[in-house]
This record gives sequence, structure tokens and C-alpha cells, in this order.
Amino acid sequence: MANIKCTSIKKSYGDLTVISDLNLDISDHEFIVFLGPSGCGKSTMLRMIAGLEEVTEGSIEIGDVDVTHLPPGERGVAMVFQSYALYPHMTVRDNITFGLKRIGVPKNEIDKRLETTAELLGISNLLSRKPKNMSGGQQQRVAMARAMIKTPKVFLFDEPLSNLDAKLREKLRTEIRKIHMKLKTTTIFVTHDQMEAMTIADKIILMRDGKIEQQGTPTEIFDRPANHFVADFIGTPSMNFIDAVVYIENNQAFAKAENICIPLLKDKFENLKDGQKIELGLRPSRMNFASKDEIGSISGKVVLVEHMGSDGQIIVNVDGKEISFVSQDFLDVKPDQEVSFTIDPKHLHVFHHDTGVSLLSREVR
Amino acid sequence: MGKLISNLFFKILIIFLVFVALLPILWTALGAFKELRDIVTPIPKLFFTPTIENFTTILQNPAIKDGLFNSIVVVTIAVLIGALIGIPAAHSLARHVKHLGDDIQFFVLSLRFMPPVAIAIPFILIYLELGIYDTLFGLVLVYLITTISTIIWLAVPAFERVPISIEEAAKMEGCSYWEVFRYFSLPIAAPSLFGALVFTFVLVWNELLLALTLAAQNGTLPVVAASITSLGKEVPWGVINASTILLVLPPLVFIGLLMGIINSMVGKDPS
Repeated sequence: MANIKCTSIKKSYGDLTVISDLNLDISDHEFIVFLGPSGCGKSTMLRMIAGLEEVTEGSIEIGDVDVTHLPPGERGVAMVFQSYALYPHMTVRDNITFGLKRIGVPKNEIDKRLETTAELLGISNLLSRKPKNMSGGQQQRVAMARAMIKTPKVFLFDEPLSNLDAKLREKLRTEIRKIHMKLKTTTIFVTHDQMEAMTIADKIILMRDGKIEQQGTPTEIFDRPANHFVADFIGTPSMNFIDAVVYIENNQAFAKAENICIPLLKDKFENLKDGQKIELGLRPSRMNFASKDEIGSISGKVVLVEHMGSDGQIIVNVDGKEISFVSQDFLDVKPDQEVSFTIDPKHLHVFHHDTGVSLLSREVR
Repeated sequence: MGKLISNLFFKILIIFLVFVALLPILWTALGAFKELRDIVTPIPKLFFTPTIENFTTILQNPAIKDGLFNSIVVVTIAVLIGALIGIPAAHSLARHVKHLGDDIQFFVLSLRFMPPVAIAIPFILIYLELGIYDTLFGLVLVYLITTISTIIWLAVPAFERVPISIEEAAKMEGCSYWEVFRYFSLPIAAPSLFGALVFTFVLVWNELLLALTLAAQNGTLPVVAASITSLGKEVPWGVINASTILLVLPPLVFIGLLMGIINSMVGKDPS
């Protein structure tokens, strides 16, 4: 088990730089998720930590040992691949134990470890099968067993669940989390699925274009996004964004946009000036029905109601712009109906109009 | 009903095509067991007293015996060395020097563009100078051009089909390049590689021109078989037929094996 430290990492392919000056500090036992849209460099970063990609500049330390130029096998890391990458010509047993046999671990020790690992992952009955005769979920369990049996210092997961169907994905996600609670091995998990990241991570590292946009716990990322991109990327349904202007009256600030006027909590935001252009961010799940006269209420005509199980997403046309919010009381709401709703002022986000940076004051952040 | 008829039609068509394809071979096989007078009758005979005299003749004929021996030695060595050099080369091209892969692949293929005649005459001179004219060694050497290039050409895609993540998983286990190749790439690509070897074997087994020009005195089976056809007026048709059968047997057996492997692979694949 070990901490991981990446310093000034740069990765280029020829003239194309995919990661520039990336710094990262991961503590021992942490479950980290690299999250981001495809092409953001999250897999490349993982593969550099694994040793499968060369680092153009910078250094990587695992457990205080500089591993920047060590081959993958000497870094004490194990990886689970998106495509499972099981050895098709070997049985499950041989797949899992190959690495141990290779380094000459005694047979009874291998058998003991195999038994424990197979039991942990519920694959004891599959050991004599070949990979191609198994389902995707079973194959991924075998791949995880293969990674675990070596008791590595670090686990790396490269989008391990994205080839599985939704139900199985959820189940394996929970299992991975439980196994981590038991083994406490430092883990890096790459995904583009923000729901997956939110449920599984101790800490999310949200990346875009080879840079870290924000790192923090799922709660921090969700409730205190550092900028427009993070706010937009996290959360389903996505956050609503409204262009607005600050308007200050009697020391009370409001955000105004056509028929919307929302009071802004004092001290929650950094130096707002009268007349400053801002962008409001409203989380659909942080809004509630309200009466039309309530301060800060937003009114409009319902466009569409979408069932989401226990909740419903209500899409409302406000001043020609569609705003959605989530409520449990959606069953009686019909299209074309006039509705009003408010946002909990604690959960209102304000972003700089041009840079997209959050204007939440530092104390709140 | 319509489906049944079209099914039946296709079956008949396939049987007809197979018959057309096999007819020359079957006729040759039949001829191999006939006496000369049964062969040269104006009305072809389907029923006759079979004889193995033709086979005993050719197997006792020292030229043919030598030819068979030469063929087996030359082809086996050429294919084996070709595999030893070509298969690791193909893996390197497929994985490690990918940027050069296309150029080298084209170069390798371009060796096959060249008509053998074009290299035969210069090779005669070079071989005479080197003193390896008319030797099996010289023939193996020139066949290596064919075997190495063909094996590389066919093995590169075979290795490219091995999922790269499997090799990466092996690297994560600490495997060296050699171990990745030996324990993973090679066994996973083995069925396709075997096909490449068989194809290469057939290619050089049937080669006539270079064998004729570079090692006529140490002729391989095609050279000997060809020389029998030019024996003069009294054409020993039975013997020619028998030697043809002997000549096509190894490739046929190999291709049969190959088809068996391919079928079993396709059959087992659940997707």
C-alpha cells in the first residue's frame, strides 16, 4: 500500500501535448476517481502511472519510490482493463495465478491465495473454465481477481465497468467499493460516467484537456463546483445556466434576468458589483415548487414532464429558455400548466460571466 | 417451399462446382492406377483392373526418390528458418516499430511482385561465383526470400489481431518482451500463424522455375515431374499421374489440416 505523487507531469505525442504540468497527490488507502469527458487525458494519466505509457516530463512516485522509468512489473501496481484482457488460451485458474507462478511463489501459497481471492469475488466455481465461455461480468471478476492476487500497492481500474449492462455495473461497483473497504489498497479508477464516480470515489479528480479542473470529495464537487465546466459535467439532469446581471439595493444583492429576480445570500459570493454580468447555476435537484409571489420564484409554462422513478424532471419554459427541475410531486403536473419554483439560496451558484470561474467566496468553498 | 427449392438449387450448384474443381485431380488419381493401354484408349475407361505398378516405378526411380528427398529437405528447412526469422520479425513490426510497419510490409510484399525469372539469371552467376550452384544450400537460400517475406506478410495481421490490452496485462505482471511474445502473443496468434506456414509451405513446395535454373542436378520433385513430361514420344502417362499425386499429396494434407483447424475455431466461437 502506498501513496502516489505525480509532479509536473507532461505527456506529448510528437507535437501534440495531451497533458501539461499536472500535479497530483494521492494518500495511502484513498479511492480516487479520474473523471472527465473522453480525450481529457484521464486514461493516459492512469497508463503513465501503470508504466504502459512513457512520461514525457515530470516524475511519478509510488510509496516514496521514484518509478518514472521503471517497467510496469516493478512498480507494484495491478491494472484491470476495460476489455478485461483475459488470456484467452488459459483457464481462469491459470489466468489468475500466472503472475505468481512466474515469480516462483510456492504452489501451496498460490493455492491458498487463489482460494481466498476466488471466494472474495465469487468465482470459485469458474476456475477451470476458459474466458470465452463466460459472461462479461464473470470475465471482469476474473480480471479483478488476477489483479488482486498479487496484493499490489496500488490498483488501477481503466473504465472497468463500461462494457457491462447497467444492472451489473451497479452491482460490481458496490462490490469494488466493499473490497476496497476490506483491503484498503490505494485505488485509481478511471471513468467518464459521473454517476459512477460520485458513488464510488473518496476523491474525484475531474479532468479536461489534460488539466485538472477540480479535485475533491463527491460532495465538494457536486455542491461547490469550481467552475462552469465542473458544474455542467456533474449531476443528472444537468445544471441550468442563466445569464444574469447583479443588482444591488440597500446592501442586498439580487441576480436579475428578464422576469427572474433571485436574492443572493450575503457573504456567499466574492465581491459582486452592481451591474456585473454573471451566470447563474441552478441544480435541478435543489429546486422546489413555490407560490408565484414568493421572493426569488421563477415562473413558466411546463414543456415536458419526464418520469425518473421516484422523482420527475419537469422542464419549464422561462422567458423562452428551458429550465428543468426535479420534484417528487410531479404526477399532477401537465404540459402547458403554469408553475412556479424557487431555488434553495444556499445552493445557488454564481459563475464569472466570461471565465466561468465560480464566484463562491473562499470561506464557503 | 420456395426456400426449399432455392436451398436444393444451391446444394446442387455447390456439388457441381466441387465436382468441376475436383475432376482433374480425381482423373489424375484414377490415371495413376491405370496401365498405359487403359489410359490411351480412345474411350476413357471408368472400370479397369487397378495397378500400383506406376507408383512402384516412380518410387524405385532414383531420380524421383532423390527429388522427393530434396523437396522435403529444402522446403522443410526453408519454411522452418523462414518461421524462425519471420514470426518474431512480424511481431516486432506489429507491435514495436509500428511507424515503420507499413513501409516494411510493402517492401516485403514487393519481394513477391518480382517475377522469379528476373532474379533467376543473376542468381545463376552469383551462385556459380560462390560455388553454391546446383546445391540444396543455394536453393534453400533463395527460397528463404519467399518464405521469410510471405510469413512476415501473413503474420503481421495475425499479431495485430491479438488484443493489445492482453500484451499490456502481461507486461503488468512483469513479463519481458520475450515472455509477452512467448507466452501470450505466440499462442494466441498460433492458429493464424499455422495457416501462414502451410501457405508458405505450399508456395515453395510447388516452386519450379528457381529449382530448375539453380539446382537442376539436385532437382526437387516439381523439377523431376516436369522432366518426365518431356521424355519423348513414349509418354509414360501412368507414371506422370502417379508422380503428380505424390506431388500434390503433402499440400493437400496440409490444407486439409488447416481447414480442420479453421473450422474448429469458427465452430467454437460463440460470437
